[in-house]
Formats: sequence, C-alpha cells, structure tokens
Amino acid sequence: MKFRLLFGILLLAHALLLPHLSERLKQRSVEVKLGYIPHPQILKVSVADHSLPVAEAAVMKVLFYFGTLVEKFQENIVIRPEYLNMYRTLETAILLDPYNMDGYYFAQAAFTWEVGRVKEVNRLLEIGVENRQWDYWLPFYIGFNRAYFLKDFAGAAPYMKLAAERSGDPLFAKLAARYFYESKQTDLGLLFLDTIIAQTKDKAIKATYEMRRAALLMVTALEKGVAAYRSARGSNPERIEDLVTEGLIPEVPVDPYGGNFYLDSDGRVRTTSKLAEQPK
Amino acid sequence: MNPISIEGLTKVYRDKKRRRVTALQGLDLQIEAGEVFGFLGPNGAGKSTTIKTLVGQIQSTAGCAKLFGIAAGDPRARRRIGYLPENPSFYDFLTAKEYLSLVGRCFGMDRSAIERESERVLELVDLHPAAKRKIQGYSKGMVQRLGLAQTLLHDPDLFILDEPMSGLDPLGRALVKQVMIDLRRRGKTIFFSTHVTADVEAVCDRVAVLVGGKLQTVNRVSELLEKGIEGYVIQLPSATAGLWSDFEARPQSDDVCEVFVPRGKFNSFMAIAGREGVEVQLIEPRRRSIEQFFLEIVRRETE
Amino acid sequence: MPLPAVLLSAKRMSAHQFVALTLANLRMIIRDRVLHGVLGVAGVMLVLVPAFSSFSMRQSQEVAISLSLSAISLVLMVLTLLLGTSSIWRDIERRYTASIMTLPVSRVIYLLGKFAAMALFLLICAVILTAAGSLVVLLAATQYPSDLPISWGTIALAVLADLVKYLLLGGIAILLSTVSTSFFLPFFGTLAIYLAGSASQEVFEYVSGQFGQEIPALSLAAIKGTYYLLPNFAAFNFKVHAVYALQVQPGSVVFACIYAATYTGLLLILAAWSFNRRAL
Repeated sequence: MKFRLLFGILLLAHALLLPHLSERLKQRSVEVKLGYIPHPQILKVSVADHSLPVAEAAVMKVLFYFGTLVEKFQENIVIRPEYLNMYRTLETAILLDPYNMDGYYFAQAAFTWEVGRVKEVNRLLEIGVENRQWDYWLPFYIGFNRAYFLKDFAGAAPYMKLAAERSGDPLFAKLAARYFYESKQTDLGLLFLDTIIAQTKDKAIKATYEMRRAALLMVTALEKGVAAYRSARGSNPERIEDLVTEGLIPEVPVDPYGGNFYLDSDGRVRTTSKLAEQPK
Repeated sequence: MNPISIEGLTKVYRDKKRRRVTALQGLDLQIEAGEVFGFLGPNGAGKSTTIKTLVGQIQSTAGCAKLFGIAAGDPRARRRIGYLPENPSFYDFLTAKEYLSLVGRCFGMDRSAIERESERVLELVDLHPAAKRKIQGYSKGMVQRLGLAQTLLHDPDLFILDEPMSGLDPLGRALVKQVMIDLRRRGKTIFFSTHVTADVEAVCDRVAVLVGGKLQTVNRVSELLEKGIEGYVIQLPSATAGLWSDFEARPQSDDVCEVFVPRGKFNSFMAIAGREGVEVQLIEPRRRSIEQFFLEIVRRETE
Repeated sequence: MPLPAVLLSAKRMSAHQFVALTLANLRMIIRDRVLHGVLGVAGVMLVLVPAFSSFSMRQSQEVAISLSLSAISLVLMVLTLLLGTSSIWRDIERRYTASIMTLPVSRVIYLLGKFAAMALFLLICAVILTAAGSLVVLLAATQYPSDLPISWGTIALAVLADLVKYLLLGGIAILLSTVSTSFFLPFFGTLAIYLAGSASQEVFEYVSGQFGQEIPALSLAAIKGTYYLLPNFAAFNFKVHAVYALQVQPGSVVFACIYAATYTGLLLILAAWSFNRRAL
C-alpha cells in the first residue's frame, strides 16, 4: 500500500514536470558546436566497411550545424561559424567516400559565396570530377567558380565543356557559351543561382542561395538604374537616393546581409555588408 | 573379440597448478559378450576417466582401449554401443522426439526405423506424453530416462552406462533395473559404473572395484555372494534350546529360539539336529554384503 | 532386426550425420531468443533508412543503398560474432558434446555441422534482409531522382561478398572457440581480428608509401607480415560499386571468393585439429 502511494506521488510529480522540461530545454543557451571529427586516416581504418555512411554522417553533421546557424542568423543571433572545422569535416567525408555528392554540393554551397575559399573548394571538387565520372554538376561548379570568383575564364572553359559533354544537356552548352563571352559578374551569378536553386531541396541551403539571389537582384536593379541615369543625364548619380528622386527605382532596397547600398566614385553599386566582400 | 578390451590404460593430466595427477594407472579389463559388468568405486576413483576414454571424450596417456576391436576414439568404435553419460545434458532446445531423430540419423538409421524405434523406446521409458515438449522443461529424472531411451534406440550390442541410477526416483530405478535385466536376457553386454553396491548385487554378473585409479579386484558376483557366507541363522522350537550350548542362541519368542551356526560348524549342528530329531523351522544364510566387501577394499587401499 | 548402422558405408553415414547435425544446430540458432532480438533491431534499422536518407541533399538513393548495405553488413557481423564465438566452448560447457560426441560422430563432422548451420542461417538472414533492404531503397529512391540507376546485381553482389566475408570471420570465431573455455577469447579475439582485417589494407598502403620510409625496417617487416597473416576484409567490399552503380571487375569477385575459400578452409582444418586434441 505504501509503495503504491509512493508510486502515485512520484508519477504525479513526473507528469507535472514534463511540460517544464521541454520549456527549459527550449531556452538552452544558443551555443552551437560542430564538434570534433577524427583524422581521415584514423577514421578510415577504424570504421571497417562502413565508410560510406560515416562519410554521409559527417556531411549531415556539417549540414545540421549550418542549418542551425542559418536559423540563428534569421533570428538575428550572430554566431561565428567554425568554417575551418566545417571544411575539415567535409574534406574528411570526401576522403572517406570520394563519390559522396552531398559533400561536394555542400562545399560548393557554403565555402564559395560566404567564405571565399574558392581554391580549396575547387581542389575538393577535382576529386569528385575524377571519381564521379558521369557527373556534370561538379565540372559545372568548378567552371563557375573559376569564371565568377577567380575571373579565370580560360580555366573555366574546359570544365564547362566537360559538363556539357557529360550531360549532353544543351543548357550547359549554352551556359558554357555565355561564360565565354559574359563578363557581367552579377548576371553570371544570377544565372548560376537560378540553375542551382531549381535543383535544391534542402531548406538551409536553399535559404542561403535565395538570400544571395535576392541581393544580386537588388544589385542588378540598382545597376540598371545607374545605367539609365547615365544615359539620361550623361553623368553618374552622386548618391544612390538620386535614383529614387529621378523615379528610376521606387526605393533604395534593404541589403539582406544587413548593410547599406551606396555608390562609389565610379558610380559602381556597393554595400557596407559582407555581400560586397570580394572573394579572396 | 571382446566388446570391451582395456590394456594398461593410464591417464595422467595436469591440474590447474600444472601438477601431474594420475587419474588411472595401468588398467587391464576385459568385458565379455553377454555379461553385465559393474564398475564400482568411490568418487574420484577413475571410473569416469575410464568411461570417457572408452567413448572417445578424452585421450589416454598410455595403454589402449578397444570396443569390438576398434580403438576407442575412432567414431566407428561407437557404432555398436549405446552410451548414457552421467547427468546427461542433451540438445535441450529440441523435443525428445527431435533429439531421438538426430541420434538415429547419427547412427545411420532410416526415417521409418527412427519413427518406429523412437515410439518403442519412449514408451519403454514412459516418456511418451512428453515426447513433443522441449527437453528444457524436463525434470532431472525425465532427462535421465531420455538418456536411457537414446541408448536403446539403435538396439546396440554394448551398453556403457555411467551412473545410470543417479537422479532417479525409486520407480525410475526399478525401470532401469528391469531394462538391464531384459537386455541381459537378450544377450546384450552392459558395462556400468556405480557407487551403489545394491545395484551391483541386483543385476551384475561380474564386478570390478577401482580405487585411486588402480583396479583392485574383479569378481563374479555369485562367487562373492557365496564366499561371503559367514554362517546360518536357524530357527528352532524353544524346547530344544538346551541342545545348543556350543552356539550363540537367543530366544526369538515363546516358542521359537534362534541359533547362529558359523559356516564351519554347520555339519556338526546338522548332526546334533538329526540325532535329536529336531524340527528345523527356518535356515537363512548370513553373509557379508558386497557393500562390506567394497568398504573393506576401499579402507585397505586408503590406509 | 538388422542394424542399419552397420550396413551404411562410412562416407554415406558421415553425410547423414552432417545433414542431421546441421539441421539440429540450425534449430538451435532459430530458437535462440537473442538472435530474434538482433533481427528485430535489423528491421528497425532498415525501417529508419528512408528517414535518414531524406536528409541527403543530392543523393537520397545512394544514401539509402549505403545505409541498407551497412545495416545488413553490421547485422551479419553481429550474428557471426554471436554464433561463432559461442559455438564449441559453449557446447562443451553445456555438456552437449558429452552426449553428441559419444554418438559415432567424428569431431570434424560435428565442427562442420556447426559451421554449416551458421552459414545457412547467415545466408537466410542475408536473403531476407536484402529483400527488405531493396524495398527500402525503392521507397527512398523516389525522394530525389538520382542520375544513377539502381544496380540490383551489384547490390546483391555486395551482400554476397559480405556474407562470404562473415563466413571467413565465422571460421576465425570457431577456431578461437575450440581453444577457449569461455566467451572472452573468442569474442574479443574475433572482434579484434575483424577490425584489424578491415583496416589492414589501408595501413599497408599507408606504410607502403612515403610514411613507410620513416619507420624502422623491422617494424615495417612486422607490419607487412601481419598484413599477410590477417584476413584482408577489404577484398570483400563492393559497397562503393553497389551504391554508385560502378562496374565491378569480375576478376576481383573471383579472387575474393577463392581467397575466402582457401582462408576459411585453413581455419576449419586448424579448428578441427584443435578440437580433436581437446578433452571434453
């Protein structure tokens, strides 16, 4: 009888605690960590024949970590991302499974636009091009990176050609042709983003790409406004607000990366946020 | 060719501290066809070592053991034997029926023979109701009876039974004894170890006593019983009590007195009784039991 | 009544005994509750595969295949470990040998019966798990259209190679359990050999390269000797081929099969020698 009573009391207490549990856990501190991944050589010899899922798990780890960062960013909480650790983890994943498309895909998504580690990303992508011999996305990425970020159009061309050959898709041939002649950076970027967003289903990655696309669209609109101003007045506008007073744009758009758009002395569209940071 | 032939069998093993322990020393034993042979000895005498060597569980250090002329240890030597281990443990995830079927297959019996014979032996040891239950759920006595059944399945010529009565209730003991007596009548050879002397008296033709790894004696049970007669207990009318002053006499009741006559004096007793015309009511031999015989040997050896 | 036992030739009788013991041991395995539990866990793992593979950004189908193959491999390994390492010593401890080994059964037949029952059970499990895994892969493949076809033949080959690998491992487990009197040596010994044998190829390639020049010749010789002594489980890994629908060279499959056959044969002969000398 005593035990039953005790059991009842404990059960009641437990039931009363449960709602608070999830409340408390929700209010945990926002510290988000990627954690440590062993050296690829060590990992390789210790996972027996499960290297593929382990590689995938490493990619997922980075992806989830990145997803939380994007979430926090949208809530205006800024956390300094562990880019180096993220890159190492991805590299480990790719060394474990050089066929893992998720790894290449994520490297391309996270380390080019935001961090500007284009050369490192291209080095990883080369492994993929070599192993995934059927894949046309990887040469497409390398070609784009070389053209857009590194301005190495001659270096980009063979990769675009390879992508066109591998895919047999006229889209890539068209893109390749555009890449040869197009020098307008912003349009080039938009073209890439449109292609890639259509293929993206992961929310975090889609969100980053879409944010980037929105920003580029704003820049394009502003650039068009500047061009129209120039053709009408024969000189560059002094301030960006001049475009609004001239009725060329309805208002000065808000940089989604938190900066302010302005015009430099040459009339080029600039912003104070990291959107303007040029790839290193 | 004897069913069992053991010559100079010696087994030395090392204990956990790497010391040499002699379990069996130069055992010589011949078991003839058709006899029931009891293997008597206290615990640790080497009975199990001998039997395990016979059925190929362990290898001897020296000497040899043969079953029907084939070296023990060779699987073919076991084709004509039925062996019941001490406290047997069978594949207990099987039912009795399944286990007997496995045993039958291992003896090369065909399906119909296995079916027929397992029915027979299960009936014989009274396990029929439990035949389709897993052995896991059996009592100790039931397992022992199944053990007996599996020795009978292929109707072998030689039975090697290690402590066949252990773990059985009186009914079970009677059953085993009956089975052994029936087998003897059918001319089968039985070699069984025991430490229960009454079992030896009841069924054995010959008995060997093993103490401390050494064979002490081998005797015919009938001779032992005969040699063991110390004298006779004779019941006579009380009225004649005066005649037996040379003997131990004590009144049994008002009418009857009992006299013990040593074996050597029986003739002189009979002479007196004949002369006096005494009506002898009962004569019973008093003998040393096999147990006493056994205990004497053990005492002598261990001193 | 004529004794059928005397009429049968030794060879036919051994065949009868082998079949009977194999079936009895198979019954033992199938009636073991622990193994039911393991298979239950396997089922849960496979059911969770589509959920996990849906996290993948670009290769749901590939992730589903690699997770299914890994789950199957893991389950087969656990089963091999449980079955192989609890074989001979446990039969002696439970004194099954005192009853079975006193029938006219040779120890070699007994050992082969145990091995065959284990092999048969692993085969049955592999077939069932592969069927279940195939359903799961089909389901997951609908989540994101892959550029790659699902190569069912290679998937079957990968599972089969795993099965052969685990039979070899089972041979090691049985060998160790013939010399052991408890669970520890066979279990941890087999596990250690499994891990070492899975890693040996990586380590060998590592020390064969530049790193090898820095270590003393004696250690290098020891490492290479160990490499040749240990079973090389890397030879049985066709998972990458199955996941990414790559071409498998028929030669490497044939080689793996012959390698497994000779190695397992040697192990079983050693086990038979060891078991023959053992007092029960």
